Amino acid sequence: MTPTKNRIRPAGFHVELIPPKQDSQKLEDDLQLFASKFERVMASGFTASITDNAMGLLAFQGHECIEELGLRARPGQVLIHLNTFHTKQNLDEILTACERLGINSVLAISGDGSPRLPKLLPSDVEAEGVASVTSVELTRYIRKHYPSFTVGVAFNPYEPEADEFEKLKRKLDAGASFVITQPIIEKNAVTDRMLEKYPVLPVFIEAWMSKKLFLLSDVVGYPIPEDAAFDPLATLDQLRGFYPDCGLYLSLVGFKTQYEAIEAMAAAEKEAAE
Amino acid sequence: MRIAVCIKQVPATTDARIDPETKRIIREGTKAVMNPFDLYAVEEALRLRERAGGEVIVLSMGPDSARNVLTEALSMGADRAFLLCDRKFAGSDTWATSYALSRAIETIGGVDLIICGKQAVDGDTAQVGPGIAAKLDIMQAANVSKVEEIGDDHITVFRTDETGYDVLKLRLPALITVLKDINVPRIPTLRNARRARAAEITLWKPEDIGADPDKLGLAASPTRVVKTEPPALRGADTLLIEGDPADAAKALADEILRRGLLERGSV
Repeated sequence: MTPTKNRIRPAGFHVELIPPKQDSQKLEDDLQLFASKFERVMASGFTASITDNAMGLLAFQGHECIEELGLRARPGQVLIHLNTFHTKQNLDEILTACERLGINSVLAISGDGSPRLPKLLPSDVEAEGVASVTSVELTRYIRKHYPSFTVGVAFNPYEPEADEFEKLKRKLDAGASFVITQPIIEKNAVTDRMLEKYPVLPVFIEAWMSKKLFLLSDVVGYPIPEDAAFDPLATLDQLRGFYPDCGLYLSLVGFKTQYEAIEAMAAAEKEAAE
Repeated sequence: MRIAVCIKQVPATTDARIDPETKRIIREGTKAVMNPFDLYAVEEALRLRERAGGEVIVLSMGPDSARNVLTEALSMGADRAFLLCDRKFAGSDTWATSYALSRAIETIGGVDLIICGKQAVDGDTAQVGPGIAAKLDIMQAANVSKVEEIGDDHITVFRTDETGYDVLKLRLPALITVLKDINVPRIPTLRNARRARAAEITLWKPEDIGADPDKLGLAASPTRVVKTEPPALRGADTLLIEGDPADAAKALADEILRRGLLERGSV
């Protein structure tokens, strides 16, 4: 039996959505754009995966965009990212609002932070013996106080492998029940070993959907030339083949240029499965 | 309780560049943000309003683009905003700026407490807050790290210095300048941000605040900027520790302790 036989690929894709920035000069336009993307993801049957101050850039929270715009979060189709750069009050407000909106899936990440953002203190999340709060302590807190939430965590195959595996173990021990990787652009040996080690753990492979591959230089740890040719849709198709039992998490999707093809890909896969 | 907060739009410190010819900060094409200390001033005003009731009024002096920092303060929860915006204000130093802002505060009327950030990160003078208090002839406390109590006619604050803090009781109206230790500024909610973007910001010219034009602008400013230079880059030693990771980690920890950067058992 191959080690990954017990893992089942979830239908559809996770599509990353970035809420409008706090300093937006055209907030209403940006909100309308967010709403249209969100509704399209819902209509596709995919999961909207909404970031939390990504890259430390201040943005509005996903739950408040949904609530303020009167959008409907379909059950199981929204994943809220939650990092450690909040006050305790804010953290609890976000989780409570998500419960109210019927959102019960969270991606717990340490996050990038910025001087403008507060940081959770260990005492805020009842963590002892740690100098700062990471996704491990955040995961444990959510699972303890909001047990209805499913908590996912990140896996970075570009970090030193032993350290990353040790961190992943602590995240899973804290109550995480699925994993999303950093962007992967080809078959990745470290990810393969993680899949072998955890044969039933739901794993989502992040597919980079921007043509600007060089933006990943810092993530992968080596310089990628600005003119490096990259076909995101072809790479996505390859990743589906490399990782047939994993979900796909799509970052920086071009809604005008790529979305129809992505929907067609999902429809074809569904038809083949039936 | 009517609380006025003076805020300033400054270049984002990460973007700040200095013109090598004029030695002045290049503001064109540079991202502008609310002076970081002023975020704490706005937050403290909002917290005092939550404790004592009343309203929070924000005001700034600057170009039309300074509306953005006032909008940010409204997004945080301030009630009203005023912008002193006119060519006659341009080039004002701390003396002229204090004069203009004090005139604006008198025009608003009935202000019980004025809060400013400790200083602006572009000029770094820390003079405007105390200057406003002097012009209004009211009590003041700079470098406040805590508001202990606020009553109908007084406020009790902790004023921090290098050796500790003084507890001061000020008769209202009064002015305080605040440190970053005082609070954690809130992040605006989307609902407040939308409301703030639709809110009106009142523009005032010198005549609207009864200001004497001869006391405004570059010509009326006694300060002359003779020279401004970027800070010299501080030299840094690089220590490369090679070898087995466990041994290298121990060597690094020993080096950190030897240099007194951390104390043993402090983490």
